[in-house]
Amino acid sequence: MNVSTFSPPKLSLLTIIGVSAICLSACGPSEPITEGPPPDVRRLTEDQYKNIISDVFGASIIVGGRFDTPVRTEGLQAVGARNATVTAAALSQYDEMARSISEQVMSEPSRQFLVPCAMPGQVAFDESCTTQFISKTGRLLFRRPLTDDETSARTDVVRETTQRLGSFKEGLSSGLASLLVSPQFLFIADVVEDDPDNPGTSRLNAFSKATRLSFFLWNRSPDNTLLQAAETGDLHSEDGLEGQVERMMASPLLKAGVRSFFSDLLEFSEFDFLEKDSLIYPAFGAGAVRDAQEQTLRTITDHVVTKDKDYRDLFTTRDTFMTSTLGMVYRVQVKARPGTWEPYQFAPDDPRIGIQGHLSFLALNSHPGRSSPTLRGKAIRNMLLCQQVPDPPPDVDFSGFNDPNSPSKTAKERLTAHSTSPACAGCHRITDPIGLALEKFDGAGQFRQTENGAPIDTSGDLDGIDYADSKGLGLALRDNPATTKCLINRLYAYGSGNSMSSRSEWMTYLEDRFTADGYRITSLMKRISTSNTFYAVSAPDMSGETIETAANNAAID
Amino acid sequence: MTARTLKTVLLLAPLLALTAPGSNAFAEPETLGFVVTKWNTAMHETRFMDECPAGPTPGNWEIWESMITPEERRSYPEALITQVRHVNYRGPNGEDVCAEPTSIKDPPLKTVEGKYSYGIDLDANEDGRATPKTCKHKNFTGLNGQTGIDNQMYRLMGCVEAWRSYGHIENNANSHRLSSGLGMILMEITDVDDLTNDDSVKVSFYRGIGSFTLDSKGEALPFASYEIDHENGTPRYGDTVSGRIVNGVLKTEAADVNIPHFGNYQYIRQLIQDMQVEMELPSESGGTSGMVYGYYGVEQFYSYVRGLLTSFPNRHKYACPPIYVAAHELADGHPDPDSGECTTLSSAFKFDAVRAFINHPESEKLASLSE
Repeated sequence: MNVSTFSPPKLSLLTIIGVSAICLSACGPSEPITEGPPPDVRRLTEDQYKNIISDVFGASIIVGGRFDTPVRTEGLQAVGARNATVTAAALSQYDEMARSISEQVMSEPSRQFLVPCAMPGQVAFDESCTTQFISKTGRLLFRRPLTDDETSARTDVVRETTQRLGSFKEGLSSGLASLLVSPQFLFIADVVEDDPDNPGTSRLNAFSKATRLSFFLWNRSPDNTLLQAAETGDLHSEDGLEGQVERMMASPLLKAGVRSFFSDLLEFSEFDFLEKDSLIYPAFGAGAVRDAQEQTLRTITDHVVTKDKDYRDLFTTRDTFMTSTLGMVYRVQVKARPGTWEPYQFAPDDPRIGIQGHLSFLALNSHPGRSSPTLRGKAIRNMLLCQQVPDPPPDVDFSGFNDPNSPSKTAKERLTAHSTSPACAGCHRITDPIGLALEKFDGAGQFRQTENGAPIDTSGDLDGIDYADSKGLGLALRDNPATTKCLINRLYAYGSGNSMSSRSEWMTYLEDRFTADGYRITSLMKRISTSNTFYAVSAPDMSGETIETAANNAAID
Repeated sequence: MTARTLKTVLLLAPLLALTAPGSNAFAEPETLGFVVTKWNTAMHETRFMDECPAGPTPGNWEIWESMITPEERRSYPEALITQVRHVNYRGPNGEDVCAEPTSIKDPPLKTVEGKYSYGIDLDANEDGRATPKTCKHKNFTGLNGQTGIDNQMYRLMGCVEAWRSYGHIENNANSHRLSSGLGMILMEITDVDDLTNDDSVKVSFYRGIGSFTLDSKGEALPFASYEIDHENGTPRYGDTVSGRIVNGVLKTEAADVNIPHFGNYQYIRQLIQDMQVEMELPSESGGTSGMVYGYYGVEQFYSYVRGLLTSFPNRHKYACPPIYVAAHELADGHPDPDSGECTTLSSAFKFDAVRAFINHPESEKLASLSE
């Protein structure tokens, strides 16, 4: 249903009163009409690729190979994927991965479950088996049914390879590999169609709508049920869409989707490049790097999904999860056996609160051998408040700051001296007071009372709110209006691939509803995923080029 | 604010500081856990081995060779020579001389003759004369000049290279303990009110189960959590002694304590009698070292020597019979009420430890709550 043509049915007075009573608490103002952006193409992220392979072929399939470096736009790789192309080197990697996956699928015992019609040692081509396999698998990989031409083309590949190599299994393997290197698999293309309810306008077709919804909530391809809802057209109805959203939000896969969003938001992909000096931080090894990310993601999903709590409390919560590996860095007692997790609550007098007090945040936004108030402050501004802090100028002089003979013992003293330069002061003024509040956590996130024997002053302010320590920072962050605005902004952009800019009415609407819903992310996700704006699209201006040919072009760019 | 109110606030200020938000979790702990990472017999070793004027002890093979004539040797079948070279079966009837150390009479053990040693004056007796609780023995002078130091274990084993700091026996034991976690010693100090000076604390000793958490250099990391080895909720070890903290150094009162041990493929339940511990409490880095003093049973010690691999005496240059004989001769503590012979050796051990968290069995905690 298009919002522009919506007209309420005639209702009895009693019904209106009843519905109104319910709406007072639940419905709120209606969604503003928002024009959608032109259709777009996004490259699958590494996680999405792996999720799809696991879902379609099973978790035992190993995806080896390197993916192109992701592009981050507006703080998210999910948005940057719009601008991502496939280099020749990456195409070669996709090809290698496709062959490897196909081989694994066709080897025992996977074949028995995934291609039961192909017999071991079979030499002859089997058209019925091929069509069945290509259609079924292609539908899940392309996130829509294959056209006859697409099925026919892959069947030809299977036939030709079978004849040349004298092995039907090899033939099917080639057919599957050709699906896996296809742009229709590697790119998420918005396919539009004329909107029958609003002649002259366009809408996402049902499969693109299903795809957008599925990647938003689960970070994976639509499952069979969702594809069926798209096939029947049910997804275009309000009830049909709501039914699917309800189903998907009740699924354990919602946690995977939320994890994926926060992993992107908190830039956890940077952990791949994280280096810490093992002489300075011997406890912060590979195990801690792995567990630190998991700790934060577990904390988040437990807080916002399992317990369905106020998002803002993520910055003040003491509840988290712990492993024996993390316990050594946090210097806390852990009863869980190695490799297992246990719920943990930091003591009331512990200076560590909120996810900004987790090792993942503190260690990631530090240098290899020391903390960095500037990097931490910048990260909070960029990631959590959506405030862009520019990179330092190339000619900045760090010699005074890095001087080991400096009389300044603490980072605060060194930064104060460093920030006297007018070229530096502008940015440091907005980053350092935030980061300095976290200075009692060293470069690995371990607590310390002093730096070089001198007491650490953690006082500062965030946008006019003064605080004395990291706990005060957590509270200031929690109550900062930019914190919730930023989440809405990023969540919408993550799901749609589009910026929130120029959608101020929509933003205001979501802000109001988010506040009314008690700042619960699940409500926000549901509101976004059942909205018209989330799927809105304007007519494509492709100048004769279809969106799928655009995907093809991007693939060989 | 009245003068009285001000006074009350000032008096309470230190207490408030302890509970103030952001106070350091390490500043006022009530319980301090440690895991021992290294345990060695304390040996005072000089550069040129001056403490052993007769040189290091000979090995099993050298002793055997020295006790036979060239003619006798030529008369022995090659199989017997090979056997002696590799194992200890050189008793008159082919006995294993480690298992039966009295089956043969070897030359006496070369023992420490030096003046200085680690240790303390365990018997409060500077001249080493026999007392109702001790046998006559020679005392050492401590490295700090203190006289009356009792350390007959050092006198016994100080010239046996395999036991010295570069020797195989204890290094192998330490290395194996660290890599396997077997025989892990956990130490827990409770009732700590002040880390610098505290008149009364309790110190308990447990055996840990599980592996050590090591860093990339293979060294144990501080602040790991370890579980106590227990049977149905009752710790297999768990002797508790009283102690005090003086200027940041823990000192325990003399008491008989069971300490777990594993080394060279053997578990030992070490009973150290009249045991005292001295250990500096660590800074935030979490690492420290300390000393254990006390009397170590002769039979307990020899049982360990007997249980070492049969190839060790030849490979690592020692012989069992001289050690057995000398251990009994040098024993200076706990005279047997019937024979009057002493049964323990005054000893000193060095250990390294790191801070750790000690997980008690749930049932033990429940029991303590119900008391």
